[in-house]
Amino acid sequence: MAKIIQHQFFYPNPPEVVWEYLTKPELIAQWLMKNDFEPTIGHEFNFHASPMPDMDFDGIFYCKVLEIVPFKKLSYSWDFGPGDGSMTRSVVNWTLTEKDNGTDLLLIHRGFEGANNFLSMFNSMEKGWLELIQKLLKIINNTANGTTQA
Amino acid sequence: MEQHRLDAFQVIADPSRRQMLYLLSKDSLTINALADNFDMSRPAVSKHIKVLYNAGFISIQDIGRERHCILKQEGFNELHKWLAYFDEFWGSKLKNLEALLNERTNKK
Repeated sequence: MAKIIQHQFFYPNPPEVVWEYLTKPELIAQWLMKNDFEPTIGHEFNFHASPMPDMDFDGIFYCKVLEIVPFKKLSYSWDFGPGDGSMTRSVVNWTLTEKDNGTDLLLIHRGFEGANNFLSMFNSMEKGWLELIQKLLKIINNTANGTTQA
Repeated sequence: MEQHRLDAFQVIADPSRRQMLYLLSKDSLTINALADNFDMSRPAVSKHIKVLYNAGFISIQDIGRERHCILKQEGFNELHKWLAYFDEFWGSKLKNLEALLNERTNKK
């Protein structure tokens, strides 16, 4: 499946340390969001953000642990919606690679119910307002825009 | 089925609806002309058109005796909002993590 959102960061800490910040609820909460994560495949947990009524979002990301390879790989589903039970489904993948006494952390957030395939259909369009589609494709095709991003 | 208003991602999750939008991106079409491209009943086509209309992906205009479907920006804005939001979201969260990890390194 094509990638949707991708970020790559280098941290000068070993994978074991970065891993802790991805898998210990109290450490995750320090940089991401309040959560009840547990490093167990199949564990269902939530992230709590602020509701955004203008975006039809109830403030909760409904997640389930899909894959764990200690210090290397973590993946969970990431569903969200307006709170009426209807959900947009997506998947968050973390990959840790040891490099120069530090860690390359790669995040890929994909899925979104086929949005990527859909948007690529519009590649050849030329109408004015469809510049928007181009912007979307840019986000989708964006690779490795980590720490250099403004 | 589909009582509630579907969000933009759910709207385009359906292959027939994606195909409809693609056809309409080439040219606006009457409901009949659009339906001719699909091997499904007219009520089924109408249902999809209603979903697209409700989510702001198309507008419907009566021209003469025909109803024309025209692509509309609103639905696409919705998709863009979320993808742009998450792109920004992860960028800023990962910077938080960077600050935390730096702090930890400097304390040692």
